[in-house]
Amino acid sequence: MADSTNTIFRALDRKASAITEFTMRQYRTKISTWVVLITGLVIISLLMLFYVDAMQRDFESVDNDGDSADSDGDLYPDGQERLYGTNPFSELSNPGFFDPPIPPDDPSVWIDEDDFDWNESPTGTRTVSVGYDDDGDCRTDARTSSQKDTNDNGVECDIELSLTLTGEFRYEADSFVDEDPDDEAYAKEALHRASILGIGKLGFVFIISIFIPLFMATGLIRDEMTSGTMHYMLTKPIARTEVFFYRVIGYLGIVWPYLIILTIISALVTGFAGPGDSLFRFSEFGIWLAILFAAMLATLVYGMLFCFLGVMWRYGIILAIPFAAWELGMALLSMGVPESPILRFSVIGWALIIVDSASLIVWPDMSLLIYSGFSVEGSNVDGFEREELIGSEPLQYFFANPGLGDISPFVSMIIATIVLLIQAIALLFIGGAIFKGKEIE
Amino acid sequence: MMPDIHQEGQAQTSQWQPEQKAPVILLENVSKTYGKIHALSGVTLALSGGVTGILGLNGAGKSTLFKILMGKLKPSSGQVRLFGTNPWKNPAPYSRVGFVPEGEKMHDWMTAHDFISTFARLNGLTRADAKAEADRVLDFVGLLDVAHKQIGRFSKGMRQRTKIAHALVSDPELIILDEPLQGCDPLARTTIMNVIRELGRMGRTVIVSSHILTEIERITEQIVILHHGRLLALGNLHAIREKMDNIPHRIDIGCDSPKDLAKSVIDIDSVHGISFQNPQKLTVQTRNLGDFHSHLPRTIIDGGHKVDSIDNPDDDLSSILGYLTGGGV
Repeated sequence: MADSTNTIFRALDRKASAITEFTMRQYRTKISTWVVLITGLVIISLLMLFYVDAMQRDFESVDNDGDSADSDGDLYPDGQERLYGTNPFSELSNPGFFDPPIPPDDPSVWIDEDDFDWNESPTGTRTVSVGYDDDGDCRTDARTSSQKDTNDNGVECDIELSLTLTGEFRYEADSFVDEDPDDEAYAKEALHRASILGIGKLGFVFIISIFIPLFMATGLIRDEMTSGTMHYMLTKPIARTEVFFYRVIGYLGIVWPYLIILTIISALVTGFAGPGDSLFRFSEFGIWLAILFAAMLATLVYGMLFCFLGVMWRYGIILAIPFAAWELGMALLSMGVPESPILRFSVIGWALIIVDSASLIVWPDMSLLIYSGFSVEGSNVDGFEREELIGSEPLQYFFANPGLGDISPFVSMIIATIVLLIQAIALLFIGGAIFKGKEIE
Repeated sequence: MMPDIHQEGQAQTSQWQPEQKAPVILLENVSKTYGKIHALSGVTLALSGGVTGILGLNGAGKSTLFKILMGKLKPSSGQVRLFGTNPWKNPAPYSRVGFVPEGEKMHDWMTAHDFISTFARLNGLTRADAKAEADRVLDFVGLLDVAHKQIGRFSKGMRQRTKIAHALVSDPELIILDEPLQGCDPLARTTIMNVIRELGRMGRTVIVSSHILTEIERITEQIVILHHGRLLALGNLHAIREKMDNIPHRIDIGCDSPKDLAKSVIDIDSVHGISFQNPQKLTVQTRNLGDFHSHLPRTIIDGGHKVDSIDNPDDDLSSILGYLTGGGV
């Protein structure tokens, strides 16, 4: 075994490693390489700064259910009156008349007093009962059984979560259950996930993965054909398809380690700056791995494509730019309409499936988090109808279902990977064939 | 095409059997046109062994011919055979060919040794073998002492010799040199000419192109003259040259003080005319180029002159072409 490994290694240590090494060394000597790579680093760093800034912000605690207000002016917040079963609208009815009298709570006690207590998500046709009435204003003895079960599912003071047949998420809560969640905790968690998905999908898989190949791979063979130095390589007994392949490998030899470094930096930042009690959030390891994997496949396919466009036409970059615009459109489309069939005619559509699948695996409570942010009922302290919780909107924007229909995210990920590899192989053969038939002045 | 897993050098090994009997180079009625421009028209040529000079003015089709031979260009019509194999889309014969392209561009950031050993691995050599081979060929062209300097710092002559060394990797049977002497100083010219002659003596088939007759003359007598894409003459230069001896040759020498240099140069017997084209250039006329060139270096060194360039303008080739085309150049 050791012998054969040695032999294969020695065999590959000729043409393949020669061209690969040469290509990597050549990139290192070009200023443009460093400019492009540093620009990519700056872009990701800027996005990370926005993220860190969002994580450092203090989010105002909103009284989502409005029960810190004192409607009748008897100093007892409405929530406290409701807990003890007195009339919040009559100053003559409050727990101060109890024996012994109960002193009024500070209104702040009734802000963010009933956070989400969920640990399950509905799957398929299964309905789950979640939630816990932290502040006791549902569980109170002052309420009748039917008052405690306003959603009529037979469980008092719970939230019923279910999926409709069309896959819509349904949220039916008994009154006063999980009705005033911790806005800051929610916003940070949602913005944290939205940032990872946004930076990962648009920053890594789109911007980095398309612009680096655009600047680095278009000239991979074209530049040498134009300058005449390609002759030194092509006068050797080597098939041009091989040259094409090994050159792309050399390009990946620069780009992939770069992506790995960039991902590690980003994962460290979101790990340390992310919300949570622990010093470092390890839970996002999987999603960053998927982003890296998707970006690696995207840079492979784009690299092959742009290298091929460069070989095909001296001004191949002109063809690459409208393609990049198409891919941007597809990236945005995949976030809104992930099941659109047009996405199958793109590279990014498939690459983003990998990220979306991973987000489902890493964060199984994703839909729950999004919809709960939209579902909390009530009005804020000023009496306005409460809007969705901060963070739920961006999270809904950047998260998308993998869009390959009703299959497990693992299968989606594998299908997307295979499709991207097929795209790369097809481009290798097309590019190789075009290069082979190309006259070189 | 699958990648060559064994990396042994010859792509498509199974399909390719060298035809030992075939001439090294065979062109049958080869033409290459770009729209209405005929870069080559109807060239038929077979070459095996020895050193052959391809002579022609700039644009005569020399480089086009070489690029067709090296499979870089596809002939518009006609048959091309390199060791009996069609080189278009087939890199197999290149394991037996070394090519020195005309272009000035090189990988300036590499050292000569790096450049040669890296590309030698494309001939199927292992890393260690490639390094040894690079040493060998650099020694052959006399660059071993500067092998680990960057090509970007090399003089023109050293760059040309590096390119030649690159072509000599794996000891090819056929070596094609496109204008190897262009822009070199006299010393480099002599070195390169010696290298080419040495290759000829070793029994390799060498094809070298030039637009300067005297250069080719010092290397070989077997010549092919291309003119406007047509093969004008093929054979022994000597016979043609004898008839051309009474035509004077012109040499342009770029230097700091042409007048001082003129005083020294006038002592060379073969010089029969001197003129000044501009303050930096001396033009010498001679009827015996060989003799002049053998005396010139000594004269320059003894006189302590500073010489920037020595050029043999096309005049003498033009005159041959005129002679061959009956004045219709």
